[in-house]
Amino acid sequence: MLPVGRWLSPRIRRNALTTERVVYCCVSVVARIENLVVRYGQFTALNGLTCEIPEGATGLLGPNGAGKTTLLKTLLGFVKPASGKAEILGLDAASGDRMIRQKVGLMPEQDCHIPGMSAVQFVAYAGELAGMPPEQGLRRAHEVLEYCGLGEARYRNVETYSTGMKQRIKLAQALVHGPKLLLLDEPTNGLDPAGREEMLELVRSVSHGKGVNVLVSSHVLPDIERVCDRVVVVMGGKLRAAGSIKDLKRIEGDSVDVELREASVPFAQAIQRIGGVISPPKFTTYRIQLPGKPDEVSRAILAAALETRAQVRGYKIAERSLEEAFLDAVS
Amino acid sequence: MSSPIADLSYRHYDGELLPPVNRWWAIAKASIRLSIKKKGFWIWAAISSYWYLIMMATYYFIDNFFSGAAQRGVVQLGQKNPLLSTIIWKDQFLNGFSISQMLLFVIALLVGVGTISNDNRANALLVYLSKPCTKADYVIGKWFGIFLPLTAVTLAPMLFFYAYCAMSFKSYGFFSQDALLLPKLLLISMIPGAVHASLALGVSSLFNQGRLAGATYSGIYFMSLFFTKAMQVVHFKMAAGDHAASPLVDKLYYFSIDGIQIGLAKWILATRGSELFPHQSDLNGIPPTSLSVPQPSFAYIVPLALIACGIGVLVAWRRVRAVEVVGR
Amino acid sequence: MSQLVSNDAPLLRLHNVSRWYGQVIGLNDVTCDIGPGLTALLGQNGAGKSTLMRLITGQIRPTTGDVKVAGQDPFANPEVYRRIGYCPEIDNFYEHYSGRKFVEFLARLDGMSPAKAKARTNECITMVGMADRADRKIQGYSKGMRQRIKLAQAMLHNPDIILLDEPLNGLDPVGRREFIDLLGVLAAEGKCIMVSSHILFEVEQMTRSILLLHRGRLLATGDLRVIRSLIDKHPHQIRIETDEPRRMAELLAPLPNVVSMRFDRSGDALQLEVRDPDTFYDALAGFSIDNRLFIKGFSSPDNNLESVFKYLVGN
Repeated sequence: MLPVGRWLSPRIRRNALTTERVVYCCVSVVARIENLVVRYGQFTALNGLTCEIPEGATGLLGPNGAGKTTLLKTLLGFVKPASGKAEILGLDAASGDRMIRQKVGLMPEQDCHIPGMSAVQFVAYAGELAGMPPEQGLRRAHEVLEYCGLGEARYRNVETYSTGMKQRIKLAQALVHGPKLLLLDEPTNGLDPAGREEMLELVRSVSHGKGVNVLVSSHVLPDIERVCDRVVVVMGGKLRAAGSIKDLKRIEGDSVDVELREASVPFAQAIQRIGGVISPPKFTTYRIQLPGKPDEVSRAILAAALETRAQVRGYKIAERSLEEAFLDAVS
Repeated sequence: MSSPIADLSYRHYDGELLPPVNRWWAIAKASIRLSIKKKGFWIWAAISSYWYLIMMATYYFIDNFFSGAAQRGVVQLGQKNPLLSTIIWKDQFLNGFSISQMLLFVIALLVGVGTISNDNRANALLVYLSKPCTKADYVIGKWFGIFLPLTAVTLAPMLFFYAYCAMSFKSYGFFSQDALLLPKLLLISMIPGAVHASLALGVSSLFNQGRLAGATYSGIYFMSLFFTKAMQVVHFKMAAGDHAASPLVDKLYYFSIDGIQIGLAKWILATRGSELFPHQSDLNGIPPTSLSVPQPSFAYIVPLALIACGIGVLVAWRRVRAVEVVGR
Repeated sequence: MSQLVSNDAPLLRLHNVSRWYGQVIGLNDVTCDIGPGLTALLGQNGAGKSTLMRLITGQIRPTTGDVKVAGQDPFANPEVYRRIGYCPEIDNFYEHYSGRKFVEFLARLDGMSPAKAKARTNECITMVGMADRADRKIQGYSKGMRQRIKLAQAMLHNPDIILLDEPLNGLDPVGRREFIDLLGVLAAEGKCIMVSSHILFEVEQMTRSILLLHRGRLLATGDLRVIRSLIDKHPHQIRIETDEPRRMAELLAPLPNVVSMRFDRSGDALQLEVRDPDTFYDALAGFSIDNRLFIKGFSSPDNNLESVFKYLVGN
């Protein structure tokens, strides 16, 4: 059980072998961290962090210096904890076993490659480093590069690649040995919008339905929204919040966001007249709180708009953006 | 039930995995592959055997000259060639070995010195250490990646020369002079590989650019070589001047990258080296072997070599930072 | 090309500017005016954004055409430099200086007296939120801190024009919010701020006026919404969430501006493509009320910067 309060909604899971219904309060986990304390000399990077990384796609958020990178290092089995426990895919992190890195893949943030090799050789080599026999490594390298969308360019030297291609190769070398947990550190760094789109698509498809668990550490929150279903927020070396993105974004109460073509004072006044609470517009979007059933609210607002000749271009249940939720959590 | 349309999207790897003991070999293989691709490696490897070729040609002509002389009746048939009889065979290998030193150094520059530097520049350590690969695998793999090509380059001409001499000069004491010559040669051929691998690895790990590492290693090599040559000159002066050379000078002679290797070779072969045709120097009144620096003692040369190599490997070990894999 | 914002004389004017490097084209016949306020400079990698920035900051000369910053040619022109602040993408600092010392050094280079330099340094460092960390050596700074120092040095001499190349790179969301707010404040003071970025959702939060480059040519300038409405080739997508999508479809099908309709797989939404969205939206509200159709929500998924970018630049 986690101390995360209402954001973690209980799930019901049916046991596959019997028709018994088992109620869990957590989803199955990929990594379990309990009261982990990690120190670098005098500096305490993780100060009693307790969290679980669930299966599926999870986002790792936190301000700079919060301990995210240390958490990633722990998940790679690199860190000897000062105290506490960390268990990754059933293996104890403190043992420093290289088996952890057999099952975990890392796509680092910085540029990295092996000098003097083409993409195929590089990814095959990465596979060999993970213990694959050379022929298997080469075969698998082609497979993974195909998946990452690298066509004929895979035979060229890696040093001639553009940023987008370099990112793909980083992803390929992380996937080549078939890890069960994939760590991505700023996967869309330096990519232009088209490249970003493709990368996110790749990450999303590998994490949904292929059985690869993904942990994305990024500052770009829409990326996380796009790819992940759950987030873990770390701050000051401790867990700050965890839960599904949908839950984090929900706002209490029943406000709606109404976007007009242009800001309209008569509209605002009309809403107030029928008893609604209306916020000042952000660009041209108002947040309105009106008592009543959803269909009555919808009708009333549209009627008010018609009456004041305001054109409604958008209408939806108000929710926070992930960014707002995050800023709230860390402030 | 299988569908006629295959699912070509991502799938897991559930195949065979090799045990971790083989990991260093994968790294060494990659280094070696990179080295063999360089044209310069092959060219310099060929050039490094030039002294053996010269020696082979020389012996061939001596032999033939003798046969021709026998036919002309200048010398009696059946008599051994006086020149060839006085040759100390193991010293010829020593000569070949020491003369090829500088060329082996060039090869070490080409294939060895850039390894860790280039990896530093390309941030390759991130890749290595995010796989189930330890620092030990990395350093050992890189070490063998330099050791193996250099050993091969040293050994090949030696074996070729050995075969030629074994076939042609059995009667001149090639086998009887030293029965263990072949195993000793194998041992000697590993010296440049080991020394250069250790030192080059250490120097390489200090820099981010292959060029700087190469320049630094060259600097160390040539400065120590200069020192060795200076000691050699001092030794000659003292030996020619008829008093015994100071043992300190003899010790300091081996205090360089070249010197360590030659010293180890001399110790293994148990020789102090000699001229190509020793009996010639005899005629000039100078004992043939006194001009060469005597072989170093075991207690001196072996620890010296081990310490030098140890320092190189230790520097590399410390500089290869394991835990800074993720993040700044 | 039309003026972007406000009635003041545009601070940046480019007229038929082209610049190439050997065979490679940097900018190809670009004409635009940029006035006060926050403008976003967008484009794929290699579209010419850095070339444009370098032309404006006077680092290079245009091969043809002319660039006028506040009425003057910026190339090697200290007069113009006094009015420009530049935050480049790369980090080139004197790593052994502290942040404060570095900014003070640049203030002195600008010609300020030591006292004024100190005062102004403190002001700028406080404004970017580095007041507590400015005395550490730059060598230990994270990316976000470096970005702030860059902005501080760009603001020192109170320039009218500030150019920022990927300023939010490496900042965490908290830092990003502060930075964006600060840029908003500066823009409101009447400065002309040009931000080049790939991260479109951030750009969207900062401003609606964009300058889009594509392979060296100017593809679009102006207000985002205006541009969107002009993209004829891609009819507007509208997604209506309702419990009775098929009935809604029945009602909307006769409308001439509806180009296509799709039912969402989940069965509770209708996706439409619509030309001339104005008349459609006007009609939608009335339809819903007259026919007692409950609309849970509707939105235009492609009315954002990312979609505009995708439609214009294509794939």
